[in-house]
Amino acid sequence: MPSTERKRSRPVARREFLQTGGVAATLAAARTLAPALFVGCSVGLPKQSATVPIGLLHSQTGTMAISEASVRDAELFACEQINAAGGILGRMVETQAPDTRSRADLFPKRAREMIDAGVVALFGCWTSASRKAMLPVLEETDRLLFYPVQYEGNESSPQVVYGGAVPNQQVLPAIDWLLSDEGGRRRKIFLLGSDYVYPRTTNYIVQKYLETKPMVVVGQRYLPLGERNFKEAVREILATEADCVLNTVNGDSNLGLFADLAAAGVDPQRVPVVSTSVAEDELRNLLPGNVAGHYAVSCYFQSVPLAANQEWVSAFRREFGFDRVTGDPMEPAWCLVHLWKKAVEKAGSFATEDVRAALRDGLDYDGPGGMIRIDPKTQHCTKYFRLGRIRRDRQFDIVRESAAPLAPEPYPQVAFPGWKCDWTQGGLVRGEEVRIDGNI
Amino acid sequence: MLYWVYDLTTTNFAILMIAVFVVFYWLGAIFLRPFLRQFIKSTRAANDVVGYILSCFCVFYGLLLGLIAVTAYQNGSDTAANVTREAAALSALYEDVSRYPDPYGQNLTWLLRDYTRYTIKYAWPLQQRGIVPAEGTIRAQAFQEKLLDFQPQNPAEEILHAEALRQFNNFLEARRMRLFSVNTCIPAVMWYVVILGAVLTMVMVWLFDMKLLGHMLLGGMLAAYLGTMIFLIAAMDNPFRGEVSVSAEPFEALYKHMVSE
Repeated sequence: MPSTERKRSRPVARREFLQTGGVAATLAAARTLAPALFVGCSVGLPKQSATVPIGLLHSQTGTMAISEASVRDAELFACEQINAAGGILGRMVETQAPDTRSRADLFPKRAREMIDAGVVALFGCWTSASRKAMLPVLEETDRLLFYPVQYEGNESSPQVVYGGAVPNQQVLPAIDWLLSDEGGRRRKIFLLGSDYVYPRTTNYIVQKYLETKPMVVVGQRYLPLGERNFKEAVREILATEADCVLNTVNGDSNLGLFADLAAAGVDPQRVPVVSTSVAEDELRNLLPGNVAGHYAVSCYFQSVPLAANQEWVSAFRREFGFDRVTGDPMEPAWCLVHLWKKAVEKAGSFATEDVRAALRDGLDYDGPGGMIRIDPKTQHCTKYFRLGRIRRDRQFDIVRESAAPLAPEPYPQVAFPGWKCDWTQGGLVRGEEVRIDGNI
Repeated sequence: MLYWVYDLTTTNFAILMIAVFVVFYWLGAIFLRPFLRQFIKSTRAANDVVGYILSCFCVFYGLLLGLIAVTAYQNGSDTAANVTREAAALSALYEDVSRYPDPYGQNLTWLLRDYTRYTIKYAWPLQQRGIVPAEGTIRAQAFQEKLLDFQPQNPAEEILHAEALRQFNNFLEARRMRLFSVNTCIPAVMWYVVILGAVLTMVMVWLFDMKLLGHMLLGGMLAAYLGTMIFLIAAMDNPFRGEVSVSAEPFEALYKHMVSE
């Protein structure tokens, strides 16, 4: 009997078991796999978002590292803030920041590598030599470079968005100040710079500008980037009896310059040095006794008394450390990333052509140093002019500030007659060729 | 590779592994077992023979699983130790260079801060994706360049500088070890053996002459435990991936100290 019963009941038990087991197995599989099927594989952990890569091209080693690393930090900070706010068009900004080792020849190489890897826009460069070296790659690949540093003008490329000041927004107002009563009615200026495009072109513009002003250039001298020995240059300054110096020396060469000026007893009251590339970051490396009382021209100082600036400085310090300083061109670098974001959002696309069209609509951004606006004709920015006197705490007292942002003039007519630029109507109009000490 | 499993939470990963093994066993028990039993059903005391072979097999397989689990744990543990060693060397170096005269001291501390921040914010997420972060090397080089710029001016500075250089070498060594660990994992061939072993174990259990319900219950338990063991090894493998992984906590603690006033 038991065997008969067993035979009879067996198929029933198996069927029931299969039914129950099947349901259980299906439920278990559904419990495990359903989240993966419906929301992708990022179950439980933060979902990895789609990204858009951008390139930050800065020298992190070599003579320019002292200046450029902080600009990179400002750009990273802007990207992190953008990502924290949800990214751009639903995509997180992913940065690539290779080292260009203070070598202009490495900029185009690194740029090409990054463009090949898919970056949609580039931010960075410091020296004009590096920016100019990048232009062929930018033109060939149709990418935009957002350039945050003050420069000499005499250039307008549709591939570059110029966030720094040009001479009419920085150096020329400083010359006017030196000529004024407030500036001490200086009459003899010595032009001292590093030996590359920016100092030579800037000084050429200054010389042309001074042709109609009561000030003469008593001497000019250029030393290689990275040079630390300025003794001979300082002797020359003293020998020419210059009553002011325009300093376009870049990078950590300024350490040697100000040390030699102080050693020679150059008094800032009698012979003030007005620097174009000395900001708060560079001042950290200079002994306060050597630089206090001299001047720097800029569009932004950490001491700008605007609420937006104080907020920005605090946020930056919270993120990077209580003793970090901000300066020009960190501020334009940060603003340019946000301007790019605005342009991308306006265009609804990351494509260069669309972003450029959006920028040429005259986008503006209220940055820590005040409102900046893209000039559609030149792709340069309107900027405030500010002149600061160096304090012993390595900050600046702002002694002169323009009442409103100054429009950019990349081709000052005193120096480049006939040259004009209007990218909304035909682009560049070439004037007569100008030769500047071997650089055209 | 099945790296997507590291995106799952530990619980879901475990459930997935157990479910895969149990479902595999059950399906085999229903569909394959009747055919497999044809080979041994005429053998007397077939269950004894299968049981004997299975126990022998399980000794070797258990040893293999145990050793692999220990290796995976050891890999993770060594990586965690290297991360701690790197952070400790970084901390000591930070203290050393913060005593340098300015501007060297400030520049060097900022560079170390930059390195630490990069490691936490950028390098770690890359490591979790199995990518060796490249930009930390740039930051280490920038620091080295500035460190070698410093010329000690007195015996005290000479001692401090020598100590900083020693710590820097320790830091570089630990850092290199961390980077080597990014793609440390159990070799693929070992995984093949583990999976083959698991499949053979289940096949052998199918050979037992038991009621289906018994198979489902006992075999299912065995399969669930096999799944758990393999989950354990997989979770501990790849030290930077998944929830059971080496965290950036030592660097985070250090950075908090670095940025505080």
